[in-house]
Amino acid sequence: MSHILHVKHLTKTFKSAERELTVLKDINFSLDEGQGLSIVGPSGSGKTTLLGLCAGLDQPTNGFIKLLDIELNRLDEDDRAYVRNQYVGFIFQNFHLLPTINALENVMLPLELRGEKKIKGRAEEMLARVGLEERMEHYPSQLSGGEQQRVAIARAFIASPKILFADEPTGNLDEETAEIVSSLLFQINREENTTLVLVTHNLNLAENTGRILKLERGLLIEDITV
Amino acid sequence: MIDYEIRIRRKNESQLTKRWIWKLALKDAKYNFNRLFLFVSSIVIGIAALVAINSFNINLQQDINNQSKELLGADLVIESRNKTFDTTFLKSIDSLNYRMTGDVRFASMVFFPKNQGTRLIQVKALDGDFPFYGEVELLNSETFEGFYKKDGAMIDESLAIQYDIQINDSLKLGNGKFVVLGIVQKFPGNTNISTTFSPSVYIPYHRLESTGLIQFGSRYDYNKYLMVPEVELEALIEKLRPTLREYGYGFDTVEERKEDLGRGFQNLYRFFNLLTFVALILGSIGVASSVHIYIREKRDSAAILRCLGASGWQIFNVFFIQIAAFGFLGTLIGVLHGIGIQLLLPYIVKDFIPVAVNISLQWIPVLEGFAIGLIMATLFAFLPLSNIRLIPPLSLFRSMVEGVGRRSKFRSFIIVLIVLFPWLFAVFQSDSWLYGSVFFAGLLITFGSLWLLARGSIWFLQKYFPAKFNFIWRQSLANLFRPNNQTTIMIVVIGLGAFLISVMSLIQNSLLEQVEFVGSGDRSNTVVFDIQPHQKQDIIELVRDYDFPVQQMVPIVTTRINAVKGKTVKEWQDDTTRHIPNWALTREYRVTYRDSLIGSEELVEGRFYPDKSEINDSVFISIETGLAERMKLTLKDEVVFNVQGVPVKTFVGSIRKVDWQRIQTNFMIVFPEGVLEGAPQFNVLITRIDQKDESARFQQDLVRLFPNVSAIDLTLILETLDSIFDKVAMVIRFMALFSVVTGLFVLSGAVINSKFARLKDNVLLRTIGASKKQLVNMTLIEYAYLGILAGLTGSLLALFASWALSVYFFKMLFFPDFISLILICLIIIALTVLIGWINTRSIVNKPPLVILRKEV
Repeated sequence: MSHILHVKHLTKTFKSAERELTVLKDINFSLDEGQGLSIVGPSGSGKTTLLGLCAGLDQPTNGFIKLLDIELNRLDEDDRAYVRNQYVGFIFQNFHLLPTINALENVMLPLELRGEKKIKGRAEEMLARVGLEERMEHYPSQLSGGEQQRVAIARAFIASPKILFADEPTGNLDEETAEIVSSLLFQINREENTTLVLVTHNLNLAENTGRILKLERGLLIEDITV
Repeated sequence: MIDYEIRIRRKNESQLTKRWIWKLALKDAKYNFNRLFLFVSSIVIGIAALVAINSFNINLQQDINNQSKELLGADLVIESRNKTFDTTFLKSIDSLNYRMTGDVRFASMVFFPKNQGTRLIQVKALDGDFPFYGEVELLNSETFEGFYKKDGAMIDESLAIQYDIQINDSLKLGNGKFVVLGIVQKFPGNTNISTTFSPSVYIPYHRLESTGLIQFGSRYDYNKYLMVPEVELEALIEKLRPTLREYGYGFDTVEERKEDLGRGFQNLYRFFNLLTFVALILGSIGVASSVHIYIREKRDSAAILRCLGASGWQIFNVFFIQIAAFGFLGTLIGVLHGIGIQLLLPYIVKDFIPVAVNISLQWIPVLEGFAIGLIMATLFAFLPLSNIRLIPPLSLFRSMVEGVGRRSKFRSFIIVLIVLFPWLFAVFQSDSWLYGSVFFAGLLITFGSLWLLARGSIWFLQKYFPAKFNFIWRQSLANLFRPNNQTTIMIVVIGLGAFLISVMSLIQNSLLEQVEFVGSGDRSNTVVFDIQPHQKQDIIELVRDYDFPVQQMVPIVTTRINAVKGKTVKEWQDDTTRHIPNWALTREYRVTYRDSLIGSEELVEGRFYPDKSEINDSVFISIETGLAERMKLTLKDEVVFNVQGVPVKTFVGSIRKVDWQRIQTNFMIVFPEGVLEGAPQFNVLITRIDQKDESARFQQDLVRLFPNVSAIDLTLILETLDSIFDKVAMVIRFMALFSVVTGLFVLSGAVINSKFARLKDNVLLRTIGASKKQLVNMTLIEYAYLGILAGLTGSLLALFASWALSVYFFKMLFFPDFISLILICLIIIALTVLIGWINTRSIVNKPPLVILRKEV
């Protein structure tokens, strides 16, 4: 089985006028296709930054990241956007749906970006899979948090990504809704056989991925296979 | 290898033809229609002003061109001031076999026996079939030709209305009695205003002598009108030029009259052009600020799209399509409004213009409007839009990541274009590289000053933050430098708005003040002129009988120049390297003699009295600065005058500055006492008459007893000027309204849009228990600070800019209207605070959750 994600000597430093802040130091790990991985750690340990870098949302200060054998460091921002569109799915803690288009249109968006046609049926089907067939025409502001996150899950999976990055997908939801949303996420992930990288505080959720990376103050202190 | 493939595949993707880009642009625009309202309004007003003013200018120019022959009534006019044409010259002109006619024009008093009315008028004694072009329009059925045969007179309509004169009433001009045969509604070259100000009485030339009005010292102009085929005109002028110069005659052609007319409207054109520039710049600021704030709100959406795989250019295109579509809409509405407003302008300015303005659709300004509207909409939107292209996807997780503000070639290119656009537009609109560049530099300095002020304030507040203030003050002042603050953009936008509105107001005021005569206090208000020496004593007695003061009795001697600096006029004329204009050498000079300076004069160089050592056989004269400049005369230069045939050698003893706007008998040349007393002369008496009916009675007696003497009642002129100026002021104010309205729109829009920036903070404060009063107070303090800082700076910069514009561009005196300036500043501060307060109301009057769910 080949590595879908390979991280080597990864360091990230944020610079501002007054100071420099190194949030990740010399991180090394690999992830095989179809595997799951959770990144855990206290607030400010660099979890979200690591996820963002792995997904090509930013450039590392040092080291390199290979995603699907593509060395992300060598690509500019637009090239990395293309990679994300073709191979990557996202789920965010704050849902991040576009507020000016409805649920159905939000789900269709990744396929629209690819230039695919006849996508409405697929999007409707996806929304039905997350239980929102009745709420397709609703705008994000008309949906509850749980519903918004389900739209985000539908949007993440509609383009059949090779790898899915989820940042605290249940962090903004109550316990009951969080349970429903996480079950849905893992269920669809299994059905689609997608590699999952999850950032979470919830250890129970993390265990579901089968492997846990533990970060502390920017350092990878543990790599546990559950 | 795979990296390379990605690059190739991505590069092959089209950026604008993707359906989702258009779909998303449309969907998003529908949702944000109200937020782009300011953007559209800014373009509408700017472009409406541009199209209306430029179309009107073209229509006016076309009508002046089409009707220019009617302005003159002939192809060529030869003019002789205060002397009849030389008979040899007339014979030579006659021999050319062109159709020719002539007239004599001079000022005199008319007397209407019907109601004992008297008034200073312009007598036009017409010889033959004038005009060759255009028509004299009469109110009655009499033909203009008829009045030559019937020996009657015709009068301007304004005069007939003023004195209630009907056809067949009689009038008296000097010793001549005339029957009114016609009432003239339109005469070539006259404007409604000019006939109200100085109405005319038309008489046949052969009746002139019977009036006895042409006496020594009277000012009269002889004109000869020629009808010359256009192809021969230039050659004829060249042929006549040396002869005309020799005799000291002037000439006027249709082309020159057009140019004169253009110059006459120059300040109005310049003001209109300045207004267009200001309206457009304000519009551009509106575009830039509204798009800046709009795009700022779109950061999250852009970052989401980035995460999902959209490229920077694709995201740019989504919003660019919106901006371009709304820009097109704004331009279209602006052009239509401009065409509509243009239809109104002729009604407002018709009294000032000697041609009938025919409004027709002018495609050039319409196309210009379209092009400039689209450029303005897109160019000023490009800079904020270019930010969205660079928004890093990671900003969804962290608000302060690098990316926005990153330098790119595209961004630098846009900045260059943004700098070039107002510059080139200023040059285009002012039709001058120099003025356009200076306008632009002024704007740049203002922009820079405001930007520095904003950055300086932020720095100052951060450095010396008043930590001991209460929470409300601390919170509102901290808002000015916190992340996502609007301080810089608000101060720049409000300051520029205040600056441009104040400049227009100050310039408007200075233009209006230019011709406002001061007729108050003890100033003279009546001038009696053409008094012959033998009438002097009798007229003084008449004035004293009426108990009026004799404020001045000024002797006037007419002279011409024989030689300057040792060279005769002929030698100067033959000298091709000379820089003295011909008219200055050949004109008649009316000089006076006295022993002191008067109130309107100021000595610049030399002494009004020569030293004892300098007194010899030569005469020391004083000349006015303008004349000294044109004649290239300095102290001690020699000038030989021809005083009624007697040569008088003089030296320049002093140079005086004369305020020509003061109602005084002002002179270019003043002789000392004891030289010209024996020369033929006439006098002007200046007095002050306070009662209208006394003035009328005095003038009746004056005309009756001394038919050749005329009197000007300046109060009448002042009243006429007042009414003229009310109309001019209306035009200027109407046009200035464009920039003021645009400015207010831009200001309001900037403040309204800033609401979204503070929305989250305010909702959060509300959520954690901030009272309505606390939130309102915080907002009021923040906006008051912005308004005061920007308003005051804008107003002060405007004061300086309008002084410079008045002196160097309009070439007029600067009359700062401080009350208006303070008022504008206060209105801008109040408006900023008021809109800030209205913004807060929409937050505090609704439950936080409603806003959070809707906006966040």
